[in-house]
Amino acid sequence: MVNLFKRMRKLKTMLDVRVGTGAAILPSVANASKEFPAVTRLHLTYAQKIYGGHQGARHFWRNCLPRLKFYNPGIPMTVKQTTDQDIPATLSIYFADRVGSTATAIAGNKQITDKHAPAPQNGEKLATVNVKDLSYQEIWNRVQASTGANEVPATEEDQAEAKKFAAIDEKAIHDRERIRAKRQAKKDQERMLAEARGEVEKSQTA
Amino acid sequence: MSSLGVALPSAARGILSSCRSSLRETSVNPSFSVLQQVRGLKSNPQAKGKGKKAAKPSRRGPLEFRQKSLKDMDQFALCDAMRYLRAIEVGRNPTVIKYEAHIRLRTRKDGPVIRNMIRFPHAVQTESRICVICPPDSKQAKDALAAGAVLVGEDEVFEAVKAGRIEFDRCLAHPDSVPALNKAGLGRILGPRGLMPSAKAGTVVEDVASRVEDLRGGTVYRERDAVIRLPIGQLGFSPEQLRDNLRTTIEQIKKDASGLNDRINKEIYEIVLSTSHGPGFSLNGEFKTDDSPETPALTGV
Repeated sequence: MVNLFKRMRKLKTMLDVRVGTGAAILPSVANASKEFPAVTRLHLTYAQKIYGGHQGARHFWRNCLPRLKFYNPGIPMTVKQTTDQDIPATLSIYFADRVGSTATAIAGNKQITDKHAPAPQNGEKLATVNVKDLSYQEIWNRVQASTGANEVPATEEDQAEAKKFAAIDEKAIHDRERIRAKRQAKKDQERMLAEARGEVEKSQTA
Repeated sequence: MSSLGVALPSAARGILSSCRSSLRETSVNPSFSVLQQVRGLKSNPQAKGKGKKAAKPSRRGPLEFRQKSLKDMDQFALCDAMRYLRAIEVGRNPTVIKYEAHIRLRTRKDGPVIRNMIRFPHAVQTESRICVICPPDSKQAKDALAAGAVLVGEDEVFEAVKAGRIEFDRCLAHPDSVPALNKAGLGRILGPRGLMPSAKAGTVVEDVASRVEDLRGGTVYRERDAVIRLPIGQLGFSPEQLRDNLRTTIEQIKKDASGLNDRINKEIYEIVLSTSHGPGFSLNGEFKTDDSPETPALTGV
């Protein structure tokens, strides 16, 4: 098996799951308000290729959804990647009993339907947001505005850890450069030797 | 020379016994090396060199797989590891993505390895989708469906296969349906894929349902470089289901290890949980901590 230090380094992806865009707690039944009812489910649909404005939706899945899922482990989140490039990329947010006014405003009057999204069950209300041509940050802003999600600030330990990894990454650039120079020098040396040897042989045969 | 052979063995035996343990199995016959040693020790400088070579084996690594101390390793309770893994695998199909266990052993590099088959309390594999060809309304059909076959029938299966929709990985047939199967001429389509049922391959059986269960429930595992890796659950499993499967696995591996040989000692050293795309989380043996979410929250998608 891979050695412990490599494994532990790899495990630091945990930090990415805890900290960053989308690290927020969605309202649950316990702390729901009239404007921001509890969120019961999320569903994202986008097309396989990025042209036609599907890039942001994919990035949202890659970057934000893991964090959302980490802080809201009980909320089912599904993603559907279609081969149909022409459909709009949509994010469906399911609320427990009603859709708040902000969410309605963000979803817009022009109702779009997502045929891949699961049907609302036992009184769930659905707000479908068109996320075509939006970056994942913009999508996240919309999600946060319409659900009233509470961002989880990074703890001090997490910040310190992030700082440490940033420093390591910084150092890695210098180290890469240093090793590259070393290897290049060695290669040059060998090439020069080979050339010299070739010349000797040439002179001997001649 | 003969007098030497008589006079020296007592001295040589000491040398030999000190080097025998480190002699390779493939190296020269011990009795021969005794002779060489004796000669070498006495006088002949040439032979001395040779003798030394035979006595001193080429450097080998340690006999055991080196396993570092785990005291610096972060270890997690099962529910916490699941929370991270489920976050990392978000949006994936919960029946396709699997939890995997990597069971690391403290063991010698040579000697027998553990290999066996296990049946979990909660079946893991859905990827072996099984098709059963038998008369659609028969009792066998019902049993096979109950046992977890995805496709049961005769004519509709044949049509689907002819249309190119082969949505299964294993194909079984009941003897009653074999004539119909042969008449349908599917050998050309199923044959090259290794799916054509035949009595020789054990895929034409009377008791279809139990065979389906066998094919679905069993997972084969073996030890490779002191690690046993096997899928132990689907992403949609609850922590309790996963715990049951993990417990069964560990018990069986312990039993395998004790059943190998009296002289072989294998013990479990670390258990790592990962998923199809996730990193490995070393488990500390606890089920949950105070911070972990409720178990229903860690179930499903």
